[in-house]
Amino acid sequence: MSLALECRKIKRTGLTAAFLGGELLASAVPVLNMAYRPELYLHREASPVNVLLGAGWQMMVMLNVLLIVTGACALYHMEYADNAILKMCSLPVKESGLFFGKAFLIAGLSAVFLLMEAVSVAGCAVRWFGTGREVCGEVLRNLGFSLLLLLPAILLALLIASVCKNMWIALGVGVIGVLIATMIPAGQFAASLFPFALPFRTLSGLEQETIRGYVTAGAAETAAISVLEIILLRVRRAFQ
Amino acid sequence: MNIIETQNLTKSYAGVTAVSGLNLHVPKGTVYGFLGPNGAGKSTTMKMLLGLTRPTSGSFVMDGKRFPGGRTQILKEVGSLIEAPAFYGNLTGEENLEIIRRILGLPKSSVSEALELTGLTQYRRRLAKKYSLGMKQRLGLAGALIGRPPILILDEPTNGLDPVGIHEIRTLIRSLPRQFGCTVFVSSHLLSEIELMADSIGILNHGRLLFEGTMDGLKSGAAAQGYPTDNLEDTFLALIDADNRQRGGIR
Ligand SMILES: Nc1ncnc2c1ncn2[C@@H]1O[C@H](COP(=O)(O)OP(=O)(O)OP(=O)(O)O)[C@@H](O)[C@H]1O
Ligand SMILES: [Mg+2]
Repeated sequence: MSLALECRKIKRTGLTAAFLGGELLASAVPVLNMAYRPELYLHREASPVNVLLGAGWQMMVMLNVLLIVTGACALYHMEYADNAILKMCSLPVKESGLFFGKAFLIAGLSAVFLLMEAVSVAGCAVRWFGTGREVCGEVLRNLGFSLLLLLPAILLALLIASVCKNMWIALGVGVIGVLIATMIPAGQFAASLFPFALPFRTLSGLEQETIRGYVTAGAAETAAISVLEIILLRVRRAFQ
Repeated sequence: MNIIETQNLTKSYAGVTAVSGLNLHVPKGTVYGFLGPNGAGKSTTMKMLLGLTRPTSGSFVMDGKRFPGGRTQILKEVGSLIEAPAFYGNLTGEENLEIIRRILGLPKSSVSEALELTGLTQYRRRLAKKYSLGMKQRLGLAGALIGRPPILILDEPTNGLDPVGIHEIRTLIRSLPRQFGCTVFVSSHLLSEIELMADSIGILNHGRLLFEGTMDGLKSGAAAQGYPTDNLEDTFLALIDADNRQRGGIR
């Protein structure tokens, strides 16, 4: 219900076009890598999917997270710009419903882009590494893992956007968050749990134990940020 | 029977008491004029009634439901327009109302009905951000009237309208109790305007209720206290002025 409403509200904002554009760019990364410097990747030990993700994932996920931050800002700007949020809050729905509707919308768009990226990676594996059908399973496992790890980033971006009525501040904070995330080295487990840093991880080379750690962290952060948003909305209502 | 009743409703912001110990009684099926100068606390009171801001103390009952427990139930029955109109600029007038209609679960025809009532039908396909001030105000009104809610809370609904528009909206508000059985709680700065619409009035100054009752009650009460009564605007000003002086000249 609230997802359907959010889809109606984004008419003419150019949001879907922006997501699609950014997504085509991200999906092009592995293709360009293989087209222009195949010799770098073709004779590695690891599985083709791991090689492809190792070469391009940082770039791809950075685009994804930046799109999410921008999307979150745009979604809340729409509410604040002409004060539509005031009308929404005086209707018999919960204000947090707005937040979760937007979260579902961005998560849906993110799932679409992860799928496009998965297709691109699988395509590259087949085209340049000559792998067969079996690549699909590996790619899909990576897709599920990435989607889960993207959830905390989506919610955090929306939380920032919902708290800052000025879109530019929300955007600034979000971009700084993404930049910090890119600087966190892979080995540092604790630091890599920062919501914007989480999606930079891929399944390749991770121990079962660590994977379980990331999955738990992704789920826990998703829950924690949701609760935090609900609390923040209540506090704000008391002071408004 | 009173459809809205507040009990010692109070709202304080850091350092300012916007509304203090308010006890309102709004009779069902009437137009209630809520009057007060700038900063009297009219909008703050209305925001509390809609659950947009939490009262510092006190509570209220609306159509038998007590706040805050019955918030969602209360809001199902209330159409509102608070301060400046609020809308999605990237959507047309019609699309804006469509969003509200879906949230309220109303029949499809309610959108065109609301557009018709507020005279926006010919502009329904125009983007809301391209609306003139008066059209935006009408869109806000349409969003309040959609589905004919039993209670309407309207904060200065004639803001930004031209004289013809003011007359039109006033007539509309006046007719709502008879036409749809609504109760209208409407605020204004102008006693002259309220006089033309309201059955009963409440006068607010610095967050406190100075008077509540009918227009005739106001006239006779003012006459008894020696205030001018031949022009109601003077009566209003004299009342406010006396209250301000009593508070030691703070303004
Ligand atoms: N969010 C807020 N924080 C602090 N003070 C506030 C806030 N909102 C309102 N006030 C103060 O509360 C008082 C009442 O404001 P309110 O908007 O209710 O007045 P009003 O009667 O609607 O005035 P107007 O006729 O100008 O619309 C004012 O002194 C205002 O400065
Ligand atoms: Mg006001």
